[in-house]
Amino acid sequence: MGTTPDKLVERYLKHLEVELDDLPRDRRREIVDEIAGHITEARAGLEHESEADVRNILEGLGDPADIAEDARERFEVQPTAPAPPYKPGWMEVAALVLLLIGGVVLPFVGWFVGVILLWLSNAWNVRDKVIGTVFVPGGLGLSLFLLVFVGSTSVSHGGTVCEVDPSTGREINCTELPSSEPSTDVADFLKFGVFVAIVVAPLVTTAYLAYRLRRQPSAATA
Amino acid sequence: MVAGKQDALLAQMRKGTLQYCVLALLADEERYGFDLVRSLAETDGMVTSEGTIYPLLSRLRRDGLVDTTWRESSSGPPRRYYRLTKAGRAALDAFKGEWGRFRDAVDHFVERKAG
Repeated sequence: MGTTPDKLVERYLKHLEVELDDLPRDRRREIVDEIAGHITEARAGLEHESEADVRNILEGLGDPADIAEDARERFEVQPTAPAPPYKPGWMEVAALVLLLIGGVVLPFVGWFVGVILLWLSNAWNVRDKVIGTVFVPGGLGLSLFLLVFVGSTSVSHGGTVCEVDPSTGREINCTELPSSEPSTDVADFLKFGVFVAIVVAPLVTTAYLAYRLRRQPSAATA
Repeated sequence: MVAGKQDALLAQMRKGTLQYCVLALLADEERYGFDLVRSLAETDGMVTSEGTIYPLLSRLRRDGLVDTTWRESSSGPPRRYYRLTKAGRAALDAFKGEWGRFRDAVDHFVERKAG
């Protein structure tokens, strides 16, 4: 697993290319090509090339970061500043609102716009965006759809009957039923679990995304 | 802290004058990059990172002070040869005059106090 001279040179040139990223493409190419040529010339002049020889050649050329700094100065190129800490704006708020209840207002489309905004925003990382998209497609709109069309308007679980508020998808007006309807039905219990999950999951996801939104800028400045 | 400032100043002076040293090396003959670097490195203290010559050469080319031509090499891949343009020669001559005056002026004070 020793480093061969070729590997050293390859690694050096790759490093240099990355460091020169701020330069216009043609200048970067020219400099990298010329330095690669320099290394070839220097190696050709060696009688018995050793790893130490190659290391000396690369050290003579200097740290790629130094060369890049010099090049930026020569070409009066500003190094790209690290992105400023992100301040959540209307786009993030709209994304959160639409993800949660967009599907209720405008079935599917409202939620879908929320997803687009979510992915356009720089405030979340990819993992957050995937979570926001997958849990739960449609947001509360899906919950509502399932509750209304799959479950019937009143959900019976255990000894409780709830009505579903069609505008929010939440269960309201829950009333305890007398024990005439026993709560041992496994299917009912499962159904209840699924309903709770699809109502709770979008709420939890939204809360999580909002939390990430508040955390991120302060984490970036810390 | 004073030493640090002095180092930075010397580095700036080296950087500022390096391009004229390169132009001067090209005054009589065309040269390829590695050859130029070798000549500069022979004089101690002129170049700390040899790699920095290449951004400089690229800049000189874009400023029209040098021209380049590719030539076949007997010992490997073709080489890019640099040679002075008219504008490059004019820049070098102008610098020579200014530099002479500047060097004499600095010497006048520094050498008198030291000696």
